Amino acid sequence: MTTQPTDPPGLHVADVHFGYPGRPVLHGVDLGVGPGELTALIGLNGCGKSTLLRLLAGVIRPDRGRVLLGGADLARMGRRAAARRVALLHQSAPPVPGMTVRQLVRQGRYAQRGPLGMLRDGDDAAVRRALCDTGVEDWTDRPVDALSGGERQRVRLAMALAQDTRVLLLDEPTTYLDLHHQLEVLQTVVRLRAERGLTVVMVLHDLGHAARFAERIVALRAGRVVADGAPKDVVTPELLAGVLDVAGRVGRDPEGGWPVCYPDHPLPTST
Amino acid sequence: MSGRLLVLAAVVVLAAAADLVAGRALAPGTVLEVLTGGGGETARHVVLHLRVPRLLVALVAGAALGVAGLVLQSALRNPLSGPEVTGVTPGAVLGAVSATGLGLASWQSPAAVVVAACAGGFAGAGLLWLLAGRERGDPAGTAVHGVLVSAVLGGLTAMVLLVAPGELGSVVQWLIGSTEGRVWAHWHLLWPWALLWGVAAWLLSGPLTLLRLGDGPAAAAGLAPRRARALALLCAVALTAGAVSAVGALGFVGLLVPHLAVALFGADLRRALPGAALCGAAVVCGADAAAQGLSRWLSLVLDAARLTLPVGALTTCLGAVLLLVVVRRTPARSF
Repeated sequence: MTTQPTDPPGLHVADVHFGYPGRPVLHGVDLGVGPGELTALIGLNGCGKSTLLRLLAGVIRPDRGRVLLGGADLARMGRRAAARRVALLHQSAPPVPGMTVRQLVRQGRYAQRGPLGMLRDGDDAAVRRALCDTGVEDWTDRPVDALSGGERQRVRLAMALAQDTRVLLLDEPTTYLDLHHQLEVLQTVVRLRAERGLTVVMVLHDLGHAARFAERIVALRAGRVVADGAPKDVVTPELLAGVLDVAGRVGRDPEGGWPVCYPDHPLPTST
Repeated sequence: MSGRLLVLAAVVVLAAAADLVAGRALAPGTVLEVLTGGGGETARHVVLHLRVPRLLVALVAGAALGVAGLVLQSALRNPLSGPEVTGVTPGAVLGAVSATGLGLASWQSPAAVVVAACAGGFAGAGLLWLLAGRERGDPAGTAVHGVLVSAVLGGLTAMVLLVAPGELGSVVQWLIGSTEGRVWAHWHLLWPWALLWGVAAWLLSGPLTLLRLGDGPAAAAGLAPRRARALALLCAVALTAGAVSAVGALGFVGLLVPHLAVALFGADLRRALPGAALCGAAVVCGADAAAQGLSRWLSLVLDAARLTLPVGALTTCLGAVLLLVVVRRTPARSF
């Protein structure tokens, strides 16, 4: 299982509309994510990033349009079957008293378990690997609620990794973390994606992180895709103003060459 | 972990032994004599036809309530929920009492009592669901509405019982919960029902453990949360209805035993559910023994010839205190 020669599945979103009762969110989103791509979704709060991510995971289904995973329609896939192919890390999770790190990470194996919840061969291996990949293997027997925010985030990432999927969706994996832990989590994701050949889509609030770590940035505004491309092409003062309602300048990292943002002040929100 | 399970099993055995000898009129030696095959005719009757079935009913009813409570708390993600405060127990009591009062069920048709209790349990839970409205997601708000629903249903039950007592039994029996006078007929009905739904609940332990993480993470891990929750609620109501048909509305057991079980066995329900069953059995059985002991002592002190303290009174008092501890320890909007 360590070497996976085949390409991971790509994702395809075709004319997807979605809304919660009384609140339309997405208005016809088209998006293709290639196999093995590392894509960042950016946009204002409430622009539909998290909703799009949940649609990509098949946790919710579009009102109109289709979401394809490696060519298969997610809406026709059972929850379990989808979870064997796509893992989704939620933005925040409430505490879970009484659960140890290992127990929580093990919950990631639910979709692979037998009908009566029996652990199968490979379950323990996948859990151990996920614990090591995220560097939490030393705390396996500690209660999750006793961990710091950064530690807990790594444990939750381990739970998603334990699903052992080729597609990984992360909803603001760096929220509540200090800069050190933000970089640590993002670097783990980048490394795993290279080692395993994963297709990764993550929602990021920090445009700097998106420009630094993603190969591709997709910007959403009011439920529509408004910019899509490599960071060096997409990250511009116009993007800051048009997508994030921020006035600012964009430069280059002197060593890496990726775009660096210098946000200045907020612009009046237009929509 | 299995060590704790063994210790708990030993506690259950101790509580059971205490329950057997706690009653009036028979010395512990006589009880032992009967159990080993000897004893006089009266003693044999008291032990084998009154005390043993009463003990078994107490054990299984406690186990059923403990499991029902843990299932409810996990499925609803609410540490302040339990069959007693989600309308399930009072609904089940009202269902059983009404059906009996209307002549649809009786002690000659005990299965009908269980079915009526189930229907009532669902109705009670449904009523809470409607009333709680938008506050469903908020443990404290749901608990407040649950107390309200329970009070109303309890009042209705009292009215039915006072208007048409007949063969319904006493208010004490149904509203406070008592193991007094439980015989083999109750046991024969209770154990297969409790076993069936207990096993069903245990088969749901994987999904239930996931539901404790919240619907979002549970769905991401491959669970269909709504369906799992519906199945879990079915188990919880059925278990509660079975227990209620046998011992009435035994207070607070289903609300507090789950906290004990999770504290002892962690949040993985494959272990915690059997743990909750043992805890529930130990608590109800121990409380029954204590209630009988207290009754004896009280009738001595107060010089009353036959004073019987119902076990439900004891579990309610004990439970109210423990609930206070849980509420203080529970951070807002979380487990």
